[in-house]
Amino acid sequence: MSSNRKADYIHTSWSVEGLESLIDDEGGFIDPRIYTDENIYELEQERIFARSWILLGHESHLPNPGDYMTSYIGEDPVVVVRQKDRSIKVFLNQCRHRGMRICRVDGGNAKAFTCTYHGWAYDIGGNLVNVPYEKEAFAKGINKTEWSPLQARVDTYKGLIYANWDEEAPSLKNYLSDACFYMDHMLDRTAAGTEAIGGIQKWIIPCNWKFAAEQFCSDMYHAGTVSHLSGILAGLPPEMELSDSEIPTKGLQFRAEWGGHGTGFYIGEPGMLLAIMGPKVTEYWTNSANADKAAERLGSDERAKALMAQHMTIFPTCSFLPGINTIRTWQPRGPNETEVWAWTIVDADAPDDIKEEYRRQTLRTFSAGGVFEQDDGENWCEIQSVLRGYKAKSRPLNAQMGMGGDFGKNSEYPGRVGYVYNEEAARGMYAHWRRMMTEPDWRTLAPKQSLKRAAANK
Amino acid sequence: MTHSKKYKMADIILQHEVEQFYYMEAQFLDNRDFSSWFDILDEEIRYFMPIRTNRIQRESSMEYTKDNEFAHFDDTYEMIRGRIRKLQADVGWSENPASRTRHLIANIIIDFDEKSDRLDVSSCFILYRNRLERQVDIFSGRRQDELLRVDRKMPFKIRNRTIHLDQSTVLSNNLSILF
Repeated sequence: MSSNRKADYIHTSWSVEGLESLIDDEGGFIDPRIYTDENIYELEQERIFARSWILLGHESHLPNPGDYMTSYIGEDPVVVVRQKDRSIKVFLNQCRHRGMRICRVDGGNAKAFTCTYHGWAYDIGGNLVNVPYEKEAFAKGINKTEWSPLQARVDTYKGLIYANWDEEAPSLKNYLSDACFYMDHMLDRTAAGTEAIGGIQKWIIPCNWKFAAEQFCSDMYHAGTVSHLSGILAGLPPEMELSDSEIPTKGLQFRAEWGGHGTGFYIGEPGMLLAIMGPKVTEYWTNSANADKAAERLGSDERAKALMAQHMTIFPTCSFLPGINTIRTWQPRGPNETEVWAWTIVDADAPDDIKEEYRRQTLRTFSAGGVFEQDDGENWCEIQSVLRGYKAKSRPLNAQMGMGGDFGKNSEYPGRVGYVYNEEAARGMYAHWRRMMTEPDWRTLAPKQSLKRAAANK
Repeated sequence: MTHSKKYKMADIILQHEVEQFYYMEAQFLDNRDFSSWFDILDEEIRYFMPIRTNRIQRESSMEYTKDNEFAHFDDTYEMIRGRIRKLQADVGWSENPASRTRHLIANIIIDFDEKSDRLDVSSCFILYRNRLERQVDIFSGRRQDELLRVDRKMPFKIRNRTIHLDQSTVLSNNLSILF
């Protein structure tokens, strides 16, 4: 094997036809093996995680040159570093000499990185700059550019840092396309932008990453039915009972025209937001000077003040809840395990007491110990455990909610938009997953192509 | 506290009192008697578990997230009341069916001023959790408490608790239990 190994697909027991049969967008069927099969998981690393834009953090995580954090693109460890020119570099956290992890901590500030195995040293841009005994020991010399770690493409969208290994992939802006409109409800309420509250909480859930990604993409149903009843109860004043709380019923769900992204939200009914974030944040979101500013900026009173308990996933693993402002990357760790990396953002110009309230309420509700999130972990690991069964995997799961419903053009909201309790966004996520898993390159995968094809089919 | 400290009988009695208090607290939690546990909390309590990170030595001061940063827990009295409501609810799926827990408390070091009704107490814990068919979690760590002396009936109230968990990535699907 030379250093120029052709980047070909991992050998797999799955044929293209086999992979295509796993998801039926039209019929609303999901083959449970997508959550359990080792070979499918390996293929996901190559065809999804090595080709998609992956969320790594927020610009405010790295305020100064030399500030760095370690993260992951799929299972590949990366170092994310703020440069002297304010740009951000993301490179594979692997010394090319013997494959050692270059940076072994979670973050900090550095002038250089030195591999702790043999001392190969890298600058903060990830360039190999020093090889000990280079002259004496490498008689033929060593090309330090060639033996530097792999660099990823980096781009940001309104504070969020994403990276992508694939040179051919569309730009981040095109990748997000019509999802930006919905991301802005959280990211673009003020000219001051957002900032992250320090600290990333990490924990493991023994379940496939797609359960988590799909739920944030498409599942308001679990919140409006039984999953989070006790979370709601935990936020009620002592004198109130569950029967006194009003679970909303009005809202919309969005499926991106391209890319597998999805979101949903209630409109005009604050019950759920109130249960999750309490009265102070609810007031801030719906009825404050900052909310007025957001309405002006977004050009819509409804979008700024009346959209509540919004859930959203940017394919594959970037999920967040606008208004609640928790953000997380679902780091895949084998077909049967996910590592959650969760943090919270706030409007940079929010009053200090509001920032503090966001911090306390999101860690009370959406964290490993969160009174809402605790129950999500419970559901997903039970499903994963059931899917060890042969019969349990032998028949498709049902993703038919909302099929045959109205997804006509909505003058205010772009994309395919339907009723809030829906699985249209889940079908969109899995349809995109299927395309990523089966289509070899961006000539067919690119968003423009998909839009053209959609137009031709009409 | 210095190594050369001369202990008086009162110190030994206090140590015994604090130990018995913690054993009683552990029993409340392990018996799922959360209402009794709530009764030993002071209304001004801060129940705080910062996140622990991996840092190089020269930046070891950054190991724990700070007061105004994200944490595993940062609860007020009212937030804990809500947690207990969830723990006792029929619809609290993460603890229904309930976890089997065992809190083992040790290494108790008391720091106090005789003139004050406040004690600063450091203790270590092993918290074993077994859940559903075969889930096992083992948490170890240290608790730094501020205890207030109240009356004879209930010797102390927990005014503040900071928990340092010996994990960076929490190796569990949730933290649905109390430390």
